[in-house]
Amino acid sequence: MITVENLTKTYGQYRAVDDVSFVCRPGQVTGFLGPNGAGKSTTMRIIAGLTPADSGSTTIGGVRYHDIPNPGTQVGVLLDASAQHGGRTGREVLTVGARTMGLPASRVDEMLELVSLSASESKRRLRDYSLGMRQRLGIAHALLGDPKILILDEPANGLDPAGIHWMRTLLRTYADRGGTVLLSSHLLHEVEIIADELIVIGRGRIVAEGTKEELLHAAGTYVKAVPEHTEQLRSALDAAGIAVVVREDGLQTEASADEVGRAAAAAQVALAELRRADGAGLEDMFLSLTSDTQREQPTTGVQS
Amino acid sequence: MTQSAVTIDTQRPGIPFTRLSFVELRKSFDTRAGRWFTISILILAFAAMLIQTFLVPAGAAQDLNDMALVQNSLLGIFVPIIPILLVTQEWGQRTALVTFSLEPRRGRVVLAKLVASALVVLGVLIVSVVIAVLGTALAGGLRGIEVDWNLSAQMLRNIFIGNAIATLLGFGIALLLMNSPAAIVTYFVYMFVVPTVLNVAGAFLDWFKDIVPWIDFASAQEPLLDSGGMSGEEWAQLVTSSLLWVGVPLAFGIWRWLRTEVK
Repeated sequence: MITVENLTKTYGQYRAVDDVSFVCRPGQVTGFLGPNGAGKSTTMRIIAGLTPADSGSTTIGGVRYHDIPNPGTQVGVLLDASAQHGGRTGREVLTVGARTMGLPASRVDEMLELVSLSASESKRRLRDYSLGMRQRLGIAHALLGDPKILILDEPANGLDPAGIHWMRTLLRTYADRGGTVLLSSHLLHEVEIIADELIVIGRGRIVAEGTKEELLHAAGTYVKAVPEHTEQLRSALDAAGIAVVVREDGLQTEASADEVGRAAAAAQVALAELRRADGAGLEDMFLSLTSDTQREQPTTGVQS
Repeated sequence: MTQSAVTIDTQRPGIPFTRLSFVELRKSFDTRAGRWFTISILILAFAAMLIQTFLVPAGAAQDLNDMALVQNSLLGIFVPIIPILLVTQEWGQRTALVTFSLEPRRGRVVLAKLVASALVVLGVLIVSVVIAVLGTALAGGLRGIEVDWNLSAQMLRNIFIGNAIATLLGFGIALLLMNSPAAIVTYFVYMFVVPTVLNVAGAFLDWFKDIVPWIDFASAQEPLLDSGGMSGEEWAQLVTSSLLWVGVPLAFGIWRWLRTEVK
């Protein structure tokens, strides 16, 4: 279990992490989602004891990272797959890790096999690795000491779709065995595939958290009337006090499907579609949750 | 799954210091840069021995002591670069992120690096003495020169002290600057620019002239290898100048190593 409480970190005037609290439970893959620069990496570095926090605390299983003996055998950490010596071979990187943790050399071969790095690939130098290969090696490094907890920063970055599904299976199996996983991503579709729980962060603050289903549900209901009733549907929902926005050729609302259905029936509107807003809704949610906190704003311009 | 399945075990043994030191020793040789730097300086030392054995006029410098001295004065220039490479690779290649995740107690990591650096330097010194013995044997055997096999214990001790200071010097600069090119350049400035500047300043300022021997680090080391031995004052000057030029960067360097945020 990873516990983060009221964590705050500032760099000069800039609040990288602002009063962040959350919990990652065993048996679950928790996705830490947010745009670039939202504070994900800083939070994870603080958890791993690499960056001091200004205030607040982080513990793993109730213990500060610094107080964990031989931490590599209890917490697997991958903070940056490219932060390895370019002149070492993949095998050597794992060997250095295994030696540090006091593991047998056979563990290196097991991990190479687990992440599907071939014998010849393992003998190549890191500077000749693609990002996807580095990520696989980084995962292998994090899993070397057979830890019960994993902290992975952008592990799917650079993986192809097949690689992302591979990671999903790997982490799913890991969590099902009772492991705890915290992984970050700036891409919604990655997290959507891999994680069960979501923590959404923007400009250092947590803007939403919950299970994938809960957050999906929060995106609301999509409703579409038969073509001749399009106008009537709109006025019926207005009359029922249900706020809507036009999406595609239908309407989207935060109201439940039940409420929308009753309002439509009362006005004798024939519906063509009535369903929970789907994956695209989660995407809208992600964009809307982070729109006021992300960088790509046309009105922002250059600030002093 | 129960919560107990993921409780952190605080009773597990930590990483033993010897293991940490051997890992650091491995890191000095498992990249081309680290491995070939050490091999190159030994090749250079071997070449110097061949020149000394076969090209220098007979009897001028073929005694074992002479051989060992030349080996040391050549290798001594490069010794500080050994710890520099071992320390700065963590920042240049950002492996500190991994190193400190596996051992969050950074003080132990820095000590392990010092031990590893010292072992590499010691290894280089032993090889250089072997090269000196070989050179002496070749001079005696192939050129038929009458060679003196005496190796002065005092000189060996002073070579050891000189290299210990050089190792700490490179170590301190590397910790402080965290960047290999900057650390290497600074080291050469230390050895070749600082003495000149100090002496020029001493030539213009009378009051400064008396201080120079106490703070001129490079010159204070020279008597170490004099056959006459060191006077009490020379030892004192070695200590004061070393404290200033080695001790101060080392202290700030360790402080920085312990405090720097790893990104």
